[in-house]
Amino acid sequence: MFTPAPRVQAPSIAAKGQVIQVKTLIAHPMETGLRHDDEGNIIPRKIIHRFACRYDGEVVFSVDLHEAIAANPYLEFYVRASKSGRLEFTWEEDGGGVYGVEHYLTVT
Amino acid sequence: MVKNARRNGLTRRLLLAAACAGVAGLGGMGRAWASEDATDLVEQLTGSRPTASARVRLTMPSVFPNGYTVPLMLEVDSPMTESDHVAAVQVLAPRNPLVEVATFRFTPASGLARVSTRIRLAEPQHVVAVAELSDGTLLMAKAWVEVATNGCA
Repeated sequence: MFTPAPRVQAPSIAAKGQVIQVKTLIAHPMETGLRHDDEGNIIPRKIIHRFACRYDGEVVFSVDLHEAIAANPYLEFYVRASKSGRLEFTWEEDGGGVYGVEHYLTVT
Repeated sequence: MVKNARRNGLTRRLLLAAACAGVAGLGGMGRAWASEDATDLVEQLTGSRPTASARVRLTMPSVFPNGYTVPLMLEVDSPMTESDHVAAVQVLAPRNPLVEVATFRFTPASGLARVSTRIRLAEPQHVVAVAELSDGTLLMAKAWVEVATNGCA
C-alpha cells in the first residue's frame, strides 16, 4: 500500500512582518481517472484534491487541486510572519485520506 | 510505447466526448470547451467578464518537451491588505480533457500573491489565469505553452 510522504521546507525563524517562502511536496501519483489498465478498465481517480496551510489555526493559503496538477504535487507559496506559532499543512486525498506536517515558526 | 500512447489518446478523446455530452446541460460547459477565446471561456465558467491585465503574470516555458510536469509560476501585483488583496486565482487549460487545473486561495496573511507548481498539459495551448480581487474584480492573463507530448494520457 502506497503511503504519500509530505515534505515542507520553510525558515524556522523570521522577523515580524517578513514574508517567508514555503515549499511543499507530497509524493503522490495523482491518478487522473482518465487512464486504463492493461485489461482496458478505467483506473479510478485518486488525487490530492485540497491543500491548506494554517498559521496559528487560521487558514492563510489553500489550493483546490484538479487532475491537471502533476504527480507529486509541488507548491511554493508565501506567508507573512506575524507571531510565533505553528504552521500546519494538510493534504486531502480522494477517499478521505488526510496527510499532515507541522512546522514551528519563531518570530522575533 | 508509441502505440500505447496513441491508444490512450484515442481513449481520452472518447472520454472527452462523453464528458462533453454529460455536462452540456450544466451552464454551457460544453460550449466553453469548444471556445478558442479565453475571455469567453471564463465568462461562461464564472458568469462575469475578466479584464486582461499586466498585474497578473503567468510565467511558463513557451516550449516544453513533455506535458507531464510543466512548471507554472503565477504572481499578481497587490498590496495584500485586508481591504485590497487577491482572494483567489483560478488556472485553466482550455484544451485539456478536464479544463480546471487549480484554484489558489490567498489571504492578507499570505503577504504575496505568488505561487509556483507543476501542471499537466494535453497539447499546445494557452494556459489561462483568472485572479479574483477582494472587491470582486476579475483580472486575466494567459501564456502560450507548446508541449511535445501529451501529459494527460
